[in-house]
Amino acid sequence: MSTLHSWMNNRWIIPTISGLLIIAALIVLGLSPAGTVGNTVGDITMIAAAVVAGTRIVLSAIRALGARIIGIDLLVSVAAIGAIIIGQYWEAAAVTFLFAIGHALETATLNKTRSALAELIAVAPDVAIVMRDGQQVEVAAGAVIMGETVLVKNGSKVPVDGEVSGGTGSLDEASITGESMPVEKLIGDRVFAGTIARSGFLQVRATGVGADTTLAKIIHRVEDAQDAKAKTQVFMDRFSAWYTPAIMILALVVGVWTGDVVLALTLLVIGCPGALVISIPVSIVAGIGRAAKDGILIKGGEFLETSAKISVVAVDKTGTLTMGRPQLTDVVVLDGSMTREQVLTWAARAEAGSEHPLARAILDAAASEGLSVTGLPESTEPVPGKGIAVGTDGHRILIGNLALLAQYKISSSDELTRAVNELARVGQTPMIVAVDGAVAGIIGVADEVRADAAQMVADLHAAGVKRVIMLTGDSRLVAEAIGAVTGVDEIHTSLLPEDKLDIVAALQAEGHIVAMVGDGVNDAPALATANIGVAMGAAGSAVAVETADIALMGDNLLKLPEAISLARRTVSNMRQNIAIALITVLLLLLGVFLGGVTMSIGMLVHEASVLIVIVNAMRLMRRHRSSRVTPTTPTPPLQNAHHEHRTKLFVQ
Amino acid sequence: MTSTAPTTTHTILRAEGFSCPSCVSKIEKRVGRLDGVSDVTVHFASARVEVDHDESVVSVDELVAEVAKAGYSSRPATF
Repeated sequence: MSTLHSWMNNRWIIPTISGLLIIAALIVLGLSPAGTVGNTVGDITMIAAAVVAGTRIVLSAIRALGARIIGIDLLVSVAAIGAIIIGQYWEAAAVTFLFAIGHALETATLNKTRSALAELIAVAPDVAIVMRDGQQVEVAAGAVIMGETVLVKNGSKVPVDGEVSGGTGSLDEASITGESMPVEKLIGDRVFAGTIARSGFLQVRATGVGADTTLAKIIHRVEDAQDAKAKTQVFMDRFSAWYTPAIMILALVVGVWTGDVVLALTLLVIGCPGALVISIPVSIVAGIGRAAKDGILIKGGEFLETSAKISVVAVDKTGTLTMGRPQLTDVVVLDGSMTREQVLTWAARAEAGSEHPLARAILDAAASEGLSVTGLPESTEPVPGKGIAVGTDGHRILIGNLALLAQYKISSSDELTRAVNELARVGQTPMIVAVDGAVAGIIGVADEVRADAAQMVADLHAAGVKRVIMLTGDSRLVAEAIGAVTGVDEIHTSLLPEDKLDIVAALQAEGHIVAMVGDGVNDAPALATANIGVAMGAAGSAVAVETADIALMGDNLLKLPEAISLARRTVSNMRQNIAIALITVLLLLLGVFLGGVTMSIGMLVHEASVLIVIVNAMRLMRRHRSSRVTPTTPTPPLQNAHHEHRTKLFVQ
Repeated sequence: MTSTAPTTTHTILRAEGFSCPSCVSKIEKRVGRLDGVSDVTVHFASARVEVDHDESVVSVDELVAEVAKAGYSSRPATF
């Protein structure tokens, strides 16, 4: 009985039966001259074909009317029933058959545009192997308890979000980040549910299970994004809400006015807004699905539309253009009585215990050189914008910029100023070390510029972004050095968080659509003000996944220009679809009034236009070969310094 | 005398794919009319049906059957 049920629910059965009946009817009618029994049999067969294909359509229209909706089904039902009444049996059968088969084709192809999401859902793990009471037990992936140890064997799916507690292995994280290169995992590394183990054996402590995994959050994001109405779509929905009843009234008026019932019924068929209704959602689903496969999460159709119009991208320097991990690059000794190691030791003693990234650079360097720094300073006084003043072991140590020296009335020499500027010019942040009122030396700290930062800026320009702007709290000289390497158009330096917001607002006042890329912590106000807030490396942050307008799951800078380019293609695709839908209706209307377009031809062309719209949207799902632009970096002194370190753009 | 409030279960059903936008209200009306269902939302593009219901009055299987009567096969999902 169930096979009969599923057979009946197969979407191709009804069109097939109807089609066969039509063919049979045509044969009988062709063989029988008018007025004979054969002719009547042929007519009845034709009516039967119309009934087979049309019953479901009529039922659907009635149910829709019950929900007070005038939809396409009603248009087609009235047209078909009207055609039967006036004796146009062939037209009735053809219209219902074409509508039914068109519907089946549409469902099949529409499902393909949803394949990206379906693949993500399929990636969700079903089972997990956990260690309980020393035994390996297989449980449902959703039944793993937080904190339990899960075993990940070679070739299996990671069932939970967690932290590696033992073993090593490499994972294919493409389903989360869109990057297909396997990632090595060691103890302490984070792993995600839905990734696949390519080698090794891992023991993982579960930190997120079931609906709390990053994969679940991504799926939710994609679903919500695909459901969200773009502005154009809201307009389209309202348009078709009055459009369909308007078509019925128009057909009625024309029919009464000209007395030509066939013309009126044909108008009903042509007026079907099928292609128009589907034109936008199908592009959005395809575009967002494609983006998700590449590890780009876009919040919805509206954000797609805005992203396509981005004219300025504001980038926070630290962590985006640079690695965000400053390292010690230079120690300049200015006090003749001290050695390099002594200057470094004094600095390390002052910074001991501090978590500041610049402090970490000094402490790590001291540790790696084997310099012993024990104990913590007795007093630490941070001076905002200038540095710190530390008291330790009876000594007073200052670490900071020239302004700090001035504040503590330590005179600076020409030699000092020159040395400071020299370091800054090559992109290092100079930190002057003064011990007990006398300058000891300068520590140079630099944040490595990311290898693909320059490529990202070039790609952004190629994707249509007019200006790429660097925002930083760092000083002008340092920022200029990095700006020159990466090729940004504008630099704004020495910024406090509220200054960043002001710059974004000022750009918007000029009429720009601004995207801001930041780490979300001290950029939060500016990110919220920008038209599009972009979060990078979002896989690690549940908040970023859920709130960023564009969340780049991996750490790959080049995904940003890719996202903007994809947004533009999607919006262009939407416009193409709307054009196809409208032009088809206009051409058909012309054809009807000039003569020659019958109901059946009208339905055929209408169904074809719907399929064309869907297939056009499917083009968005293909992998896009974007033209790579080689970055044109100008040649400041920096270029000479790193012809040896091509890939590691260490600003020295 | 205290009355026990009914416990509401939030169930998410995933269907194979909705092809007509008017199906949204049809399914919402059908499922909404069932006893024990307090809220139902149908998402067209992602083919999801979210139902808040009292599991002791109407089970998840019955929800699936109701959606099937509207012409779509669906399955309950964990998230």
